[in-house]
Amino acid sequence: MNRLLIDGVGKVFNGDNTREVTALKDVQLSAGSGEFICIIGPTGCGKTTLLRLIAGLESPTSGTIRLDDQPIDGLNKSCTLVFQQFSLFPWLSVLGNIAFALDSKGVPKKEQKREALDLLRLVGLADAAGSKPHELSGGMQQRVSIARALAYDPEILLMDEPFGALDERTRQKLQDVLLDLWRKKRKTILFVTHNIDEAIYLADRIIIMAIEPGRIVNNLSVDLPRPRRRLSAEFTELHVRIRDLLEIPE
Amino acid sequence: MRRGGGASRLNRFITHLQGFLLPLLFLVVWEVWAVHLDNPALVPRVEAVLNVLLHPFSELIGTGTLAWNTGVSLFRVLFGFSIAVVLCVPMGLVMGTSRVFFRLVNPLVELFRPLCPIAWIPFAMAFFGVLSVPQLFGVRYSDTILDSVQVGMVFIIFWGGLFPILLNTIYGVTGVRTLWIETAQILGASRRRIFRRVIIPAALPAIMTGLRVGLGISWMVIIAAEMLPGSDSGIGYLIMYSYELAEMNILVACMVMIGLMGLLLNRGLLFITARVSGWQSLER
Repeated sequence: MNRLLIDGVGKVFNGDNTREVTALKDVQLSAGSGEFICIIGPTGCGKTTLLRLIAGLESPTSGTIRLDDQPIDGLNKSCTLVFQQFSLFPWLSVLGNIAFALDSKGVPKKEQKREALDLLRLVGLADAAGSKPHELSGGMQQRVSIARALAYDPEILLMDEPFGALDERTRQKLQDVLLDLWRKKRKTILFVTHNIDEAIYLADRIIIMAIEPGRIVNNLSVDLPRPRRRLSAEFTELHVRIRDLLEIPE
Repeated sequence: MRRGGGASRLNRFITHLQGFLLPLLFLVVWEVWAVHLDNPALVPRVEAVLNVLLHPFSELIGTGTLAWNTGVSLFRVLFGFSIAVVLCVPMGLVMGTSRVFFRLVNPLVELFRPLCPIAWIPFAMAFFGVLSVPQLFGVRYSDTILDSVQVGMVFIIFWGGLFPILLNTIYGVTGVRTLWIETAQILGASRRRIFRRVIIPAALPAIMTGLRVGLGISWMVIIAAEMLPGSDSGIGYLIMYSYELAEMNILVACMVMIGLMGLLLNRGLLFITARVSGWQSLER
């Protein structure tokens, strides 16, 4: 069953001097429950805009976004978004950041600490509970951001290049952490990236986008069994295919 | 090892000495000048000034002690400044969040802002006279330090603190990163909770800057107000009175005291700032 249905969605921004920018045009996309979808495309193809539309941070100029047949109006309470930028609140401790999301869920204060620690354990950071964000490395901060997003317990987890600012090793490690969480929590994940390998390693399905105007040009299923091996022939073959679809020269 | 320790101690000593070098030179030049001029009614000797400063509890020229007059000035400032904080921070928070309110109030703010707070002093004197705070509430004489707190002085201290506090609060609120507000939104926070748990803590560093600037201005303004006729206590009054009696050593001691207290007030607020918004200095 399709939980999320994006139907003919377009987004036009009014730039300066009444110049209009078409960020997205006629986007058609559906996501089933528990599906892991990666969205890949060049800079400016509207990947981020698409996530912001689903989250309800922006509203579409045309088309509709439905969740379980309910159109989204205003902020979408069933999803949350993990930003590319480090978005932890610097005045709160790691624990405080996670408690912020637990508050929204109405978790009583007494149980917040225990639940937050459980989540931190899931991302391997139980020891950092009392730390302030600036005391953590970028990779650790993004782990806390993921734990905070899970604390909100969304049905759909939107992720906007969350590992974009990290080095390759940390990135791969966090990909495994994320897959592990996904298996345990069975969330629907929409994951934006511009890293081809990351998309192949993670996704059930890869959506390929193009620019001018931002649109979806392809929709590939990834049938490789997990855990996927990044240097296997099938993996590399898929990588080459996506490179072609993205029109990246050799 | 010992040599290293000794060298670093020597280094530390020299580093400390560097800070004292120019002030010391200043004192020496002053003293030479005073001795050369030999006119204590114009330039007092360093020792005469120190003598006043080191005996803050002795009676001076029939106007109370240095400590009492300093205390009165400090009390007046903290009294008026507290009112400014209590009124201007919430006002700035609302102006920073509500566009309608901002458009409504901002023209008035822009109109009054260039007006130097000292220009309010004659107006305040004409309007409030020597009415003290207890008298405002119908108590003729409360027998506390409050009797020395005139409504007019509170009024101009308030004006001294008003704009730095208000404008920095607005600046702090409007400068809160969109990323933090959106993060709170997508984590399901209500507007009320975003205001209380994101906007206020994120704006706090700027608000504290406003408080520091505002307190500094309030401290300057009160000294000016106390110098005017009709004033009967406070360090500004003591300065003016020692001028009239040509007691230059007391006058200079008062100036030193004003500087020291200004330093103390600033340090106090810096201390509080580090407590409530220490994350900011560590963030960058």
